[in-house]
Amino acid sequence: MRGLIAILFFVVFVGAEAQTNVFLIGRTLGEKIIANGDTLRVYGFAPNLSTHPPIPAPLIEANQGDSVHIDFWNVSQLHHHTIHLHGLDVDQANDGVPMLSFDVDHMEHGWYHFKAPHAGTYLYHCHVGSTLHLQAGMYGPVIIRPSDGSNTTWDGGYAFDTETMLFMSEFDTFWHTDSILDHEHDNSAVHDSLPVPKYNPDYFLINGLSDHQLEDTIELNSKTDYVNYFRLVNIGYCSNKVVFPASLNAQVIDSDGRPLPVVDLTDTVEVYPGERYGVLVESSVPVLDSIEVHYFGMMTGAAENVQYVKVDIRVPDQVVELPNISGLTLAPNPTDLELKVAFDVQNEVELAIRVVGVDGRLVLSEYSRTFPSGHQMVIIDTSLLPGGQYVISFTDGNTVTSKSFIKR
Amino acid sequence: MVCVLGIQTIFFANSITKTIYINAGQSTCVDGKQMAYKAFNPTAVFEERNVQVSMEVTDTLLLQVINNDSVEHGFDVKWTVGLRDTVQAGDTLNVVFSSTDLGIFIYYDHLSYPNNAYMGLAGIIAVGTNSNTYFWNIKDHELAWNDSIGAGGVVDWLNYYPDYFTINGLSNPNINSDTTARVEGFVGDTILIYMANTGQAEHSIHFHGYHCEILSSSMNAGHVGRIKDTFPIKRMEGYVLQLVPHQIGEYPVHDHNLLSITGGGLYPFGMFLTILIQ
Repeated sequence: MRGLIAILFFVVFVGAEAQTNVFLIGRTLGEKIIANGDTLRVYGFAPNLSTHPPIPAPLIEANQGDSVHIDFWNVSQLHHHTIHLHGLDVDQANDGVPMLSFDVDHMEHGWYHFKAPHAGTYLYHCHVGSTLHLQAGMYGPVIIRPSDGSNTTWDGGYAFDTETMLFMSEFDTFWHTDSILDHEHDNSAVHDSLPVPKYNPDYFLINGLSDHQLEDTIELNSKTDYVNYFRLVNIGYCSNKVVFPASLNAQVIDSDGRPLPVVDLTDTVEVYPGERYGVLVESSVPVLDSIEVHYFGMMTGAAENVQYVKVDIRVPDQVVELPNISGLTLAPNPTDLELKVAFDVQNEVELAIRVVGVDGRLVLSEYSRTFPSGHQMVIIDTSLLPGGQYVISFTDGNTVTSKSFIKR
Repeated sequence: MVCVLGIQTIFFANSITKTIYINAGQSTCVDGKQMAYKAFNPTAVFEERNVQVSMEVTDTLLLQVINNDSVEHGFDVKWTVGLRDTVQAGDTLNVVFSSTDLGIFIYYDHLSYPNNAYMGLAGIIAVGTNSNTYFWNIKDHELAWNDSIGAGGVVDWLNYYPDYFTINGLSNPNINSDTTARVEGFVGDTILIYMANTGQAEHSIHFHGYHCEILSSSMNAGHVGRIKDTFPIKRMEGYVLQLVPHQIGEYPVHDHNLLSITGGGLYPFGMFLTILIQ
């Protein structure tokens, strides 16, 4: 009998698979601050009742092979919604198309289940009145990671050090007025018949932000020789052209959750509505530049807008603690006219300070003196330095530590 | 002793003879409105759907184009050279076409480009078809523009904003009644979809439930072999897609520029159909 119990237990253990549970709330009275400071009414998927639905919606993340269970609670009076798992090739019952599976009415729960397929980048969005509900904000990303959850593009794929998602969409602020968002539903019809206004987008978004909102929020901060993986997603109604700086040596390696049969060595990636691309970038030298994200109208092909994502790739700092020295800071960084170097000295010490380019060439005269104990500050005139990355190093004759800074 | 026999495949070239008529008429939109339209039809009777030509890579197509309209028209096959010609009202043009590779070609009226093609005069030649082949001839129209061009007017393409979106001349839900467009099959079938954008807008066709492999791409040969669920398709671009369904069900295929799943400003009466796999 003990042997039988042991065998049964073993079978259950082997058969068990990891489970990912997701809880999302559908809302139609969300608020979103746009680049001009105005507050826009949005629909969306929220993680709880106390926050406005973020745009894009919360990331759904699982490992390949996981069982994923989504509990979708619709708290949006008048409106019914669904979750379509875009690109995940789920079965019909879980596909989120109202007339072919089911929809979720106000204060009801809907449950979606699927087994995480190929590692890659996917989407989820509402498929009720989808032209209106997507523009209103009901979309979010899905990342399926390799079976072991590692920083690898897929099982046996490319390892990466950093990961950045650029999730493109647009806002037409007229579509976010009550007259459009409070549309009627005809639950008895096979299709909701909904009037759709002319589309004139006035905000062009990356991860829900545009223009000055992108500064210091969405950027690639990385180090030389790191492998950086970009996930490009377009859920808007414009086409996108994402242009990487040539110095990043971009390689397009996957699309729509599948590896490309041939890696595409190109700096320019076109991403159309519903598409996803994976791009690896890497540089052996510092890069201070921008990725351009262009938006084009699908009806005429006319250029509509360009947004920029900052790229700041630096030589890794040498983090070696100098005896007697602590709290070393550089400010401002990036700098324009001068760099304030602050640190604390425990016991009097003689230090040599050097500023070199990333090629190791001395660009300012070496500065050397004896510092007494206590808080110290050295101001370096950087006004004549050309723009770029520099390394400032400190040595007491035995040990060297360095930090990098950017001159604009 | 092992004998290795040389295997020789012998292809028999067939000649396919087709007659197509250039007809002008009125297209009935999904909401019942009518707009001026022109198409290459199998008879002298106008219909929105252009003739779909299927052939094997070894076949030779002998095409007779009869201009049943009251004005001169042109005829050309995209991605070929030497076929461009014109045909006067009431006249007949003979065209010989062949291809050595599987692929999709767009035949169209090149005169006053893009106006005549936009009015509907653009169809598909599918090379390398099998018994599970489907045709998606994608078009978009701004009703007022069809009427204006049809009346000899001038339009500014920079201001184009189409309000009707069709596959083989039909919009949702009528597309599903077109057996050449609506994919029906079984798990494990090898299904070929010949898809061309003969409209003036760009589209991004998304499959629910399945990924497809690109067997041929008219503009990006380097994309052959990619397996995707969403296929951007530019003006006068064509794809041959291979679908091998792994699961049963009824799943939509639609433009993910969701503006294009409207008709006359109403959702969802545009470029949206379903696939049925049993």
